Amino acid sequence: MIIRLWIYFFRSAFSNILNNPLIHLISIGTITISMLLFGAFMLLSMNLNNWIREWGESLSMSIYLKDGVDEKAKKEIESAIKKFKGAEIKGFITKDQAMINLKEGLGEQAGLLEGLEEMALPESFEIIFKDRSDNSVDPKLIKSSLEKMKGVDEVQYSQQWIERFEGVMDMFRVVGLAIGGLLCVAVLFIISNTIKLTIYSRRDEIEIYKLMGATDWFVKIPFLIEGATQGLLSGIAALVMLNLAYSVISLKAINLFGLPVINIAFLSVQGSIFIICLSLVLGVAGGFISIGRFFKS
Amino acid sequence: MIQLFKVCKSYGTNKALDDINLRMRKGEFVFITGPSGAGKTTLLRIIFGTARPTSGQILIDGINLSRISRLKLDLLRRKIGFVFQDFKLLNSKTIFQNVALALEVTGERPGIIRKKTHQALRAVGLSGKEKAFPLELSGGEQQRVAIARAIINEPMILVADEPTGNLDPDITKEIMVLFRSVNLRGTTLVIATHNRELLKDTGQRIIALDKGRVIEERIG
Repeated sequence: MIIRLWIYFFRSAFSNILNNPLIHLISIGTITISMLLFGAFMLLSMNLNNWIREWGESLSMSIYLKDGVDEKAKKEIESAIKKFKGAEIKGFITKDQAMINLKEGLGEQAGLLEGLEEMALPESFEIIFKDRSDNSVDPKLIKSSLEKMKGVDEVQYSQQWIERFEGVMDMFRVVGLAIGGLLCVAVLFIISNTIKLTIYSRRDEIEIYKLMGATDWFVKIPFLIEGATQGLLSGIAALVMLNLAYSVISLKAINLFGLPVINIAFLSVQGSIFIICLSLVLGVAGGFISIGRFFKS
Repeated sequence: MIQLFKVCKSYGTNKALDDINLRMRKGEFVFITGPSGAGKTTLLRIIFGTARPTSGQILIDGINLSRISRLKLDLLRRKIGFVFQDFKLLNSKTIFQNVALALEVTGERPGIIRKKTHQALRAVGLSGKEKAFPLELSGGEQQRVAIARAIINEPMILVADEPTGNLDPDITKEIMVLFRSVNLRGTTLVIATHNRELLKDTGQRIIALDKGRVIEERIG
């Protein structure tokens, strides 16, 4: 009997969707856009997080030298660097090389540097610390130790950027959560109103069902299935569109201001399931809200 | 079968029913009559459980309606058929679907629903009209559909509110014959009407209401 009832519920819900295609299409379209925005935020947030994590796993450091440092001082600095565990000198950047690097970094805007050929960019050692898994490298300590040496002007390391960027990321997460929350409320509002419209268009039918002895749940379940169907279809449509946009734009790797390459990845299976489940849950919740209000009134 | 004790029903300051005490036996055929606004429809709605009394008690087959849960009331309603003056048919559904609806809500097997729906339509003389829609039928035929839907569950009580109010005299007679046949099968019938012609020489119990009070009880 239970299976028979559920067949009836599904048949009733789907026939209502097919009998009111326009209203359901508009609703599914609007929810899809909301879920698409939600998914895009998730994708962006996930990739930025991954990028920062990968970046943080290797520590790079630039030791800028004062103007006119002699070779002896340079040798002392070099040997001091080599004493740090895991330190590897990637190269020594001369003033000319620094200018070339800057021009390359500026690309088409390199013309801005015309007439500044005489500008003295500092020489620097570029070093990298590999394998920081045991956390034995303390960049702050190395920085203060090197900056005390004769001939060293300033030491900068990649994690300073990461620390600054993590602040931006925290803000991004808060804004993302707020926007995600608002999108969820919007989806709830859309679904509950669509179902409310179909309930009102069928209120005579509901009244007759109740007069025939139908229980509240007998009337409610098809509307909840309607909401769930809207949510499910919208979630799947949003994922398909997000995947299409990802494939078409094909921004698989972005090189930003000479920072480590961002390898853009699509949402994981869990992430995709999360979007579909969220959309489904919002659909059922929207159905609950509208049918609950109807029965109350 | 139906017992009302000191039942009162008010809508604001307006008393629709005032101190009603009634008892209707199993298999009885009862007419409720009175002018418009006498409280006939309110009395039927209270028996059917779609309205709750302001005070007093109603017992249907020993079950106190004022102490029953919403779910149990829904289940009890399956044992009470209701025929409305405006038929309350779904115009978007066929005659067959309209009648079958009363069994669908009970979760009955499709095979049994088909069989009983055909039987009910045959009983009211509408075989062959299964695929028609309500608006394709005459008023009398639509009322027959409503009766078929009300009797399909073999109810212990059948309540009808002005069932012939919109019908011409010939069709009214046909409908009354149909009600008598339902009553002969053991169903308690309660019919509200203000049609005096209908009450002539019925040999049935007639309860007259006025301003929410029982003013007369007699055999017609």
